[in-house]
Amino acid sequence: MKGKILEIINNIRAAKEMAPVTELHAEDNLRDDLGLTSFDLAELTVNIEDEFDIDIFEDGLVNTIGEIYTKLG
Amino acid sequence: MEVFLYNGGETFSYEMLINSINQNQEYYPLYKTHDIFAYFDNLVKGIITNSPLVLVDSDLNPSEVAGLDESIINVPTRLDEYHFDDIDAIITALQNSTSEITIFTSGTTGQPKKVVHSINTLTRSVRKGDKYKRQIWAYAYNPTHMAGLQVFFQAFENQNTLVNVFNMQRSDVYQRIEEYKITHISATPTFYRLLLPYEHSYPLVQRITLGGEKSDNHLYDNIKKIFPEAKINNVYASTEAGSLFAAKGDCFQIPEKIRDKFTVVDEELLIHKSLLGKSDSFKYDGDYYHSGDLIEWVNIDDGIFRFKSRKNEVINVGGYKINPGEVEETINSIKGVTQSLVYGKANSILGNVIIAEIQLEEGSIISDLEIRKILKEKLQDFKIPRKIKFVETFSLTRTGKLKRTK
Repeated sequence: MKGKILEIINNIRAAKEMAPVTELHAEDNLRDDLGLTSFDLAELTVNIEDEFDIDIFEDGLVNTIGEIYTKLG
Repeated sequence: MEVFLYNGGETFSYEMLINSINQNQEYYPLYKTHDIFAYFDNLVKGIITNSPLVLVDSDLNPSEVAGLDESIINVPTRLDEYHFDDIDAIITALQNSTSEITIFTSGTTGQPKKVVHSINTLTRSVRKGDKYKRQIWAYAYNPTHMAGLQVFFQAFENQNTLVNVFNMQRSDVYQRIEEYKITHISATPTFYRLLLPYEHSYPLVQRITLGGEKSDNHLYDNIKKIFPEAKINNVYASTEAGSLFAAKGDCFQIPEKIRDKFTVVDEELLIHKSLLGKSDSFKYDGDYYHSGDLIEWVNIDDGIFRFKSRKNEVINVGGYKINPGEVEETINSIKGVTQSLVYGKANSILGNVIIAEIQLEEGSIISDLEIRKILKEKLQDFKIPRKIKFVETFSLTRTGKLKRTK
């Protein structure tokens, strides 16, 4: 599951012509550390939903990678 | 002197605005800029000298818009000599302006369409008076569009302070709310969704206004936690007509003095032409314009109604309206693509997210990233599909059209 999240995030970064990240940390902030905008976060939810069938933002905002892991736990 | 605008680390007073207007007596009829002070300076200068203005997004590609004369972009025009003594003189000139102000709408039939407004339709909902003084506004809209203009005129005519937070991320928005003691916020539901979840409350904020998209009770409840002292209201404004009505909760009330300017046919709200800007693209049914908004009356005698949905297919992504036909057309123009279908998928962050299904020509090899890269050169960023799915076939209707329902 963690490998899939890394792949999804790197795909989003690639579309923005940003370099891929090699690993994700639970405390990484989606916006501040990974540089995702609201449109990127929407893209992230679509891809996670397609993969895991869970809308991670359904109950409000998710800020960090760790929070995504918990939702998909 | 009052502060007019905070932008990034910069502070612009009303005095700086007056000086800039008086010193440089030329303006750009069609100005494309990322500098928001320069944009407002040019906007006000054009209006108070009764000069025509065409407002376009700073990232707009001229080929996306019909009837836009590219040769006049950022070409200055000399103005007749003038002098304004103070901000009151400027505001008075603005209110009495005969300028024609052209803005663009994303229509249902392809490219954005021109709509020409007078200062009257743009400032119809502006409230003035002592109780509107000393307000500090978070400026959360694109300044070239209707909602951004509404907030600008409301703040400017009352000599309020604007704090630019357009397209900023969550922590920066909160930082500015605190640092500048913001009292008023007007934004799309998407903007407020990005402020969630509740962590701290900001009791200095007195008024929260939502517009541009459908909002929901989940969002209201959270806004109340974050801004416990704020009154919350919704506005209904459109590029075609400007601001028409506002109300609390999830209903709207048509003000009594314009109540005879509306009618409802097959659940669709029709607006009398006297309330609209001017555009060759408007199609009237008698004297009425089809708003495309489906409503239901809550109390017809008092003019209170609730929105149900949009009639047409326009997809609302974070307050931006996207016509799927335009995106499909652009995708279909890419070499190796047979056909495409663009639709919105419900999304908890932006309301909708744009998805494209693409059928490739046999033997053609092109990746989703390559397609997005090509689209970036032709379309504004918010129109670009965030997910591309390659499909073998599409389901068709009985008349051979693509089935849009998902």
